[in-house]
Amino acid sequence: MTYATETRDLTRIFKRKPKRNLLKRKSAKKKENGGPVTALDHVNLTIKEGELFGLLGPNGAGKTTLIKVLCTLLLPTSGSAYVAGFDVSKEVNQIRRKINMVSGGETSGYGLLTTRENIWMFSQFYGIPSKVAKERIDELMHTFGLYDKKNVKVRTLSTGERQKMNMIRGFVTDPEILFLDEPTLGLDVNASRTIREYVMNWVRKREHKTVLLTTHYMMEAEMMCDRVAIIDRGRILALDTPANLKRMIRKESTVQLEVDTLKSTAPIGGIKGIGNFSSKDDIAHGTTNLTIIVEDESAISDIMSAITAQGSRIRSMRKTDPTLEDVFISMVGKGLEE
Amino acid sequence: MFKQAAWLGWEMDSNWTEPGLFLIYSIIKPVAGAFILVLMSFVALFIGTGNPDLGKSAMFAYLFVGNAFFIYVASVLFGCFQVIQSDREWYQTIRYVYMSPINFYTYIVGRAASKVLLATIATAVTLAFGVFALHIDLSMSLWDIPLFLAVMVIGLLCVVAIGLCLAGLSFLTAKHTHGLAEGIPGMFYLFCGVIFPLSVLPGWGQSVGRALPITYWLEAIRRLILPSSQIAQVTTGLEQTDLAGIIALLLISTAFFFLLSILLFRMTEYLARKAGIIDMTTNY
Amino acid sequence: MTEPGFIRLNVRALFGRSYPRVIGGTRELSWIFFETVLPILSIAAYVFIYKAFLPPNPDQTMLDKVNALVGYVVIGGTMTAFWLNVLWSMASQLYWEKEVGNLQLYMMAPMSRMALLGGMAVGGMFMTSTRALTTLVVGVFIFGIVLTISNPLLILAVFFVTLIALYGMGMMFASLYLLYGREAWNLSALMEEPIFLLSGFYFPVKALGQTVAIGASVIPATLGLDALRQLMFPVSGFGTQFYFFSPELELAVLCVLAAVFLVLAKLSLGYLETLAKREGKLTTRHQ
Repeated sequence: MTYATETRDLTRIFKRKPKRNLLKRKSAKKKENGGPVTALDHVNLTIKEGELFGLLGPNGAGKTTLIKVLCTLLLPTSGSAYVAGFDVSKEVNQIRRKINMVSGGETSGYGLLTTRENIWMFSQFYGIPSKVAKERIDELMHTFGLYDKKNVKVRTLSTGERQKMNMIRGFVTDPEILFLDEPTLGLDVNASRTIREYVMNWVRKREHKTVLLTTHYMMEAEMMCDRVAIIDRGRILALDTPANLKRMIRKESTVQLEVDTLKSTAPIGGIKGIGNFSSKDDIAHGTTNLTIIVEDESAISDIMSAITAQGSRIRSMRKTDPTLEDVFISMVGKGLEE
Repeated sequence: MFKQAAWLGWEMDSNWTEPGLFLIYSIIKPVAGAFILVLMSFVALFIGTGNPDLGKSAMFAYLFVGNAFFIYVASVLFGCFQVIQSDREWYQTIRYVYMSPINFYTYIVGRAASKVLLATIATAVTLAFGVFALHIDLSMSLWDIPLFLAVMVIGLLCVVAIGLCLAGLSFLTAKHTHGLAEGIPGMFYLFCGVIFPLSVLPGWGQSVGRALPITYWLEAIRRLILPSSQIAQVTTGLEQTDLAGIIALLLISTAFFFLLSILLFRMTEYLARKAGIIDMTTNY
Repeated sequence: MTEPGFIRLNVRALFGRSYPRVIGGTRELSWIFFETVLPILSIAAYVFIYKAFLPPNPDQTMLDKVNALVGYVVIGGTMTAFWLNVLWSMASQLYWEKEVGNLQLYMMAPMSRMALLGGMAVGGMFMTSTRALTTLVVGVFIFGIVLTISNPLLILAVFFVTLIALYGMGMMFASLYLLYGREAWNLSALMEEPIFLLSGFYFPVKALGQTVAIGASVIPATLGLDALRQLMFPVSGFGTQFYFFSPELELAVLCVLAAVFLVLAKLSLGYLETLAKREGKLTTRHQ
């Protein structure tokens, strides 16, 4: 099977030079300013063709470094990496025809050109015929809601519009593998939603299209990704589907119910597949509030049966599942924003 | 704010390489720049007098001193202009600095301060090269040192003022750093008696030169550091005016350009803000 | 859609990169003043240097010689436009592309780096040619130089081969910017004047002495300028005293230089890109 990308013991170490200063002496604490930084540490990762793969990690985890290696902008220190079956160190030209990358907060392009012109220019670096490029650009601009800005100079675009332009630049070359490095960074809800929906459709509706997405937004990874890897300090800590990752931490779901006042809570306690539960009667409203720890989700229907058997109506129900953030925190020991 | 801006300017000018290499660069660059004029003078003297002895040529001394001190002009003008262009186009920090409560005019002056320092090193190196390698005769009495320093301060003020005029203009122009950096000093190079006396220019050119403070600045410097016997051999077009008169003209023209710089800077800044182009990017 | 072949890809890339330069020139017209009026001032200054050294009552021989030198300055000034385009609008442009974040997108694309640089050069050619032409026209009408165009084909051949060699050399310099940032920029600034000096932009290169002139011939502008001066001023106030080799020989050497520099450019771009990727400097900003 040809993987979209594959890394084997991929390691990337950066040497850091101490800060130069003509007037001050070099810092006596050389270790503070110098010393190597291991950005990727024996990373073994395979991404299948047609996958929308997520990479989660705190700042400085190595996400962008990994993308740069796969985009042929950075050489590994040791180990190997392959994109579409080609070696990133030796077969760069073959890889470059098949990939593209979009970063969040990108300021590429030229302010004096219009949106359309900028994207067209980048398309020419991939040898796309002008006519084809312009058709694709117009179609993508319609999709991203940027068509009315096609003749507007880039320097006048807002942040969201600029990022949409960057996304169009990424898609216009119709790459086989697209690397998205925090593509919705700093965007409003609508813009983010547009981008997410387009990316998901792009992968699902086209054969052999792969996306590697790095993000800080857990919801984004959960919603979009087939599989997610959690990376910290250059190492992959976990790799699986979002659902399986959540299961890994063995955190139970919590169900909160507001029902008509129950005559007895004993039947609920006897249901198999629930852990602890608590109940509180609200006499003023004639309700009982139940909080039930559910170990086996199939128990939920038994709970509801037990309630309705007493002639009680369920007024509201809320289920809280373990989140990817919970997974992340349990793996990394801190939140993404810390 | 001046101190912080000067520090920033110095960091940006100096921290691109090891200190040793930076020192070598600071010496080689001005000397390399002077060499073209040395060769041109050599050829010209060979034709004109058949005696290409640069050390004995009053005209060459005139040219060399002018060129050495012109390093300030080129460096500071470029520095002032580049502050806006680089902060705006490449580092994209201009909006943050501009909207802070500092005086932006002072910020640019501060950033230009490092250019003055580097130009001082370059000028000193060039003059030393002229004295030791090319046997140019420079002399200044102890009494003249305070006057020389005063002339330098006034001259640098006028150069910074012109630089601020350029900085203001750069708010409104696209990224033309090198074109402008070469071109505007070229104007002063031609009209201010830098490398040839004003008298060589046609009448209208001499009138332009007489309106520019740099002309008087360079003339005053030459009269202070070159032997009077050499000054007398060159028909500069300003012989009728004594040194006090030259300095007075320098003061008046500097004051005028200083006021002009404030007005022009404010006007261009206002126009740029009105058009919303303070932080535009035009790199192409 | 089938993938484009090597030539088609790079021709498109070349035109793609030249586009912003051409369009930028038509949308922001302040360059007209900076590239036409201001350079003439520097040229004029150099012309006046020669005139300033004339004794009070020069004889006709001296005047002829100074006029010859003025002609050399004008031709040199014309070529200066192209040299500055090579140095600042092409080579060091990669530094600024790195700063704004374009470089990584360029490096990731399958186009040749020489197509990218060629696009910059071609795109800047309009402004550069405007500047060069203005200098030449001013030289003729204001400074009164008299050009003799007896062999236009040879003049054009020398001119274009010199440009190709010069741009090849510029591409070699550009490769430095892949690995370095401000070091390379300051190196370019350092090289500007010595190249003017060694190539004899404003004086005949033979004034440097035969040995130095031969060494300086490795810079394409040296032989290019000498050949153009010989072809445009076949009879100068110096006779042929300051002319180097014959224009035909100089053209042959320039052809070799052009080929050598283009090959070296390709090799150095590849090598330094690999080095930059190994050291992690290809996409490092604010170096």
